[in-house]
Amino acid sequence: MLLLDYQNVLIESLLKDRFAPEATPTAIDQIVSDFDNVTFHISTPESKTRILISTSIKCYRELVQYGAEDVLQREYGPYIVAPEQGYDFSVQVDLENLPESQEEKDELVRKISLLKRNAMAAPFEQAFDEYAALHEEASKYTSESAPQGVREGGGVRAIHYRDEEAIYIKASHDRVTVIFSTVFREETDRVYGKVFLQEFVDARRRAIQNAPQVLFRHDPPLELEGQPNLKAGKGDVGYITFVLFPRHLTPARREEVISHIQTFRDYFHYHIKASKAYIHSRMRRRTADFLQVLRRARPEAEEGTKERKTASGRTFKVGG
Amino acid sequence: MSQSLRPYLSCVRSTLTAALSLSNFASQASERHNVPEIEARTSPELILNPLTVSRNQEERVLIEPSVNSVRVSIRIKQADEIENILVHKFTRFLTQRAEPFFILRRKPIDGYDISFLITNFHTEEMLKHKLVDFIIQFMEDVDKEISEMKLFLNARARFVAESFLTPFD
Repeated sequence: MLLLDYQNVLIESLLKDRFAPEATPTAIDQIVSDFDNVTFHISTPESKTRILISTSIKCYRELVQYGAEDVLQREYGPYIVAPEQGYDFSVQVDLENLPESQEEKDELVRKISLLKRNAMAAPFEQAFDEYAALHEEASKYTSESAPQGVREGGGVRAIHYRDEEAIYIKASHDRVTVIFSTVFREETDRVYGKVFLQEFVDARRRAIQNAPQVLFRHDPPLELEGQPNLKAGKGDVGYITFVLFPRHLTPARREEVISHIQTFRDYFHYHIKASKAYIHSRMRRRTADFLQVLRRARPEAEEGTKERKTASGRTFKVGG
Repeated sequence: MSQSLRPYLSCVRSTLTAALSLSNFASQASERHNVPEIEARTSPELILNPLTVSRNQEERVLIEPSVNSVRVSIRIKQADEIENILVHKFTRFLTQRAEPFFILRRKPIDGYDISFLITNFHTEEMLKHKLVDFIIQFMEDVDKEISEMKLFLNARARFVAESFLTPFD
């Protein structure tokens, strides 16, 4: 499990169970957590055959601003119901009214388990569309004569998806820039993070020439000038910039690219924690080795009072 | 083993062997006490000359002998931030498990990463040359372990970064 899944596995398996032809409808009331403090609530409030899936996302209001409602309408159209109390968005599936074929059912399960991904995708889609428009516009001019708006690119879309961390997306006529701000809770994370990010920056030069350009710095990049609540200068904040080039923004690739880049922050921190855990277990093993060496310094004299066992299972002491 | 490590370790070995001639010595200052003099420092005549063996600016060993105890402090090589974190974590890991290690001091002395305190009771219970072996092997393995962990971290980071970026390709 190197890369993180885009969908929520728990929702996926739950719905798959329910959608199976031989499954009998049962009452469900379950809270499911996802990355980035996203919570799902799966319940059957009215009858056992109607499953209501609600989600609460911290930055939902911002997402709506960037067109999340259109994206969700497109993805879930007939299933959308009024949001449940305390949640931002709800869909309802009626088990008696499922699509006929197995493929369509699987597709529906997949769609619902991608709820978080689809909600978060809205600003990305908007930015990609803006890039397309700007690209069209810019192709009419030479690079010198382009009017200010075209050369500079559009505004910055900010998604404050965690308490102290945010994603910023900015479209230009030749690229889309995605900036993650991230906070390192402790010194070790910061140092490990630096090693990891250095490799992200270098990977493009070494192996994967077509990957997006990755930049890393502690101060906010210039693109973010004027954004409120930017933390700078201190060692525990980092800004990671991904520059997506036109080849990543083609309609064929954009779904995959949006899904993938969303997982970056969680992927990155997950691997920092995993390395810490591995190094910890390694130290434990090495410490045990050292103890073994020290134990050799003890003379064998104590061996004498060892407990011995007879064939019948009785024990007795020898020597001493 | 690198060219400068061998003389460094052999020097530490012979110095330690010489310093580890300890005898039972009850405290002169308070009756019915028997404490490591190098820590208590009750009377100056019981403390012998401390000695530092340096391999380079970063790596050195301080050996402080006294009549009934020897304190050995090791400074482990830390070339950069990562090694610094790894050394810090590793020594903390060890000192938290000081109890089964007998001779490990719970807190390193200033300017060093890890300290050992060997008293006459330890040398009476354990074989002296094996104790010296332990410290030498410790010094060897710690360096190896730290650089291996650093290599591992870099390799893993590279692998992780490449696998994240490959789907974009």
